[in-house]
Amino acid sequence: MQSLYVEGNSALHRLSPRAKIFSLFLLGFVLFLGDNLPLLAIVTLLTALIYRSIGLSLKESAVRLRPLLLTIVIVALFTLIVSPWHVALATLLRLTALMLFAAAVTATTTITQFMDEITALARPLERTGWVKADDIGLAVGLVLRFVPEIIARYHAISEAHAARGLKVRPATILTPLIILTLRDADNIAAAIDARGIRRHVS
Amino acid sequence: MAVEPLTLSLTENRLGVIGLNGSGKTTFARMINGLMKPTTGKVIVNGRDTRDEKTALADVGFIFQSPQNQIILPIVKDDIAFGLKGRGFSKAEIDRKVELVLARFNAEELATRRAHELSGGELQIAALCSVLATGPNILILDEPTNQLDLRNRALVQKTIDGLEENVVVITHDLELISGFERVLLFHEGRLETDAPAAEAITRYRELAV
Repeated sequence: MQSLYVEGNSALHRLSPRAKIFSLFLLGFVLFLGDNLPLLAIVTLLTALIYRSIGLSLKESAVRLRPLLLTIVIVALFTLIVSPWHVALATLLRLTALMLFAAAVTATTTITQFMDEITALARPLERTGWVKADDIGLAVGLVLRFVPEIIARYHAISEAHAARGLKVRPATILTPLIILTLRDADNIAAAIDARGIRRHVS
Repeated sequence: MAVEPLTLSLTENRLGVIGLNGSGKTTFARMINGLMKPTTGKVIVNGRDTRDEKTALADVGFIFQSPQNQIILPIVKDDIAFGLKGRGFSKAEIDRKVELVLARFNAEELATRRAHELSGGELQIAALCSVLATGPNILILDEPTNQLDLRNRALVQKTIDGLEENVVVITHDLELISGFERVLLFHEGRLETDAPAAEAITRYRELAV
């Protein structure tokens, strides 16, 4: 069980969680307004510098970002098939910038801070009567908390393949991964109920 | 796993639950804290029916087979505090309760530790703290010594022995419950034996072969 949060005292660590979440939201919006390639390249470079500032080694950064980066490259390649090259490049730059900034925010904000902020932000929505702010906060917290567990489980299943001399294939990995994750989700839900964490519901 | 109808009155301070895999032990335990509702009949805990959603879970703490699944926040003290939120306590009261529960188990040094760095025994203690902080008077432990080495097992046994709460232990670790006043042996979904530890354990050994 690893944590997405990285201990440190960088400027981003010290920035308030609310400011970070709003900046991320704003960036996600602004990046899709224009398609000026040099400007997008500068923004991407800036987000890379921000990500570097949080104190992760290059190796650790690569391990953390590789799966997402791979997905972004695949999306860009598909875009290249159906659109001109500059649209594909813009997609690549936009998503990379967003990923780098989101990863930096996640690495410098504790789960508790995230949950408190999301819960506070969702509080006005309670007036609609459709949602409970505490549930939204809890859901976000659970995602952040259990992503590393799912990755760890993926590695365990890969090792089990290797130990049996089997080639690692998505089809043979995904089935046990999904089944184990769903089973754990049931156990975690039972634990949350047993601890009375969603008392506001009853 | 279905459990056949049974009528029991449990008042002992230490209750063991044993039986082969799939005998109905966990189903029985989950009915005590209202995680599962009986399809017929009723379960009354501290005078309250577990079918009443509002009160069912309040008095019964439950430690699961995999304590890492019930620890939600990565830092131990944050996790203990998390269970206390939304219960009308002030921030200072919550901090105080977290300190008290850790002190009770001489586990102050766990406060700032990350849950993923804890040993199996420490993980059980952390889960115990987060459950007991809310003040249940009945505690259910589902296989608390499962997969622990001898040192961690001894730590967990010592901790269980020292608990003031009423404790229900579901286990395959027969030594753990050998001193218990009452042990329930489940077999194929029915209550096979309800007796002091020594008698229930002897009967369990006969059934197992």
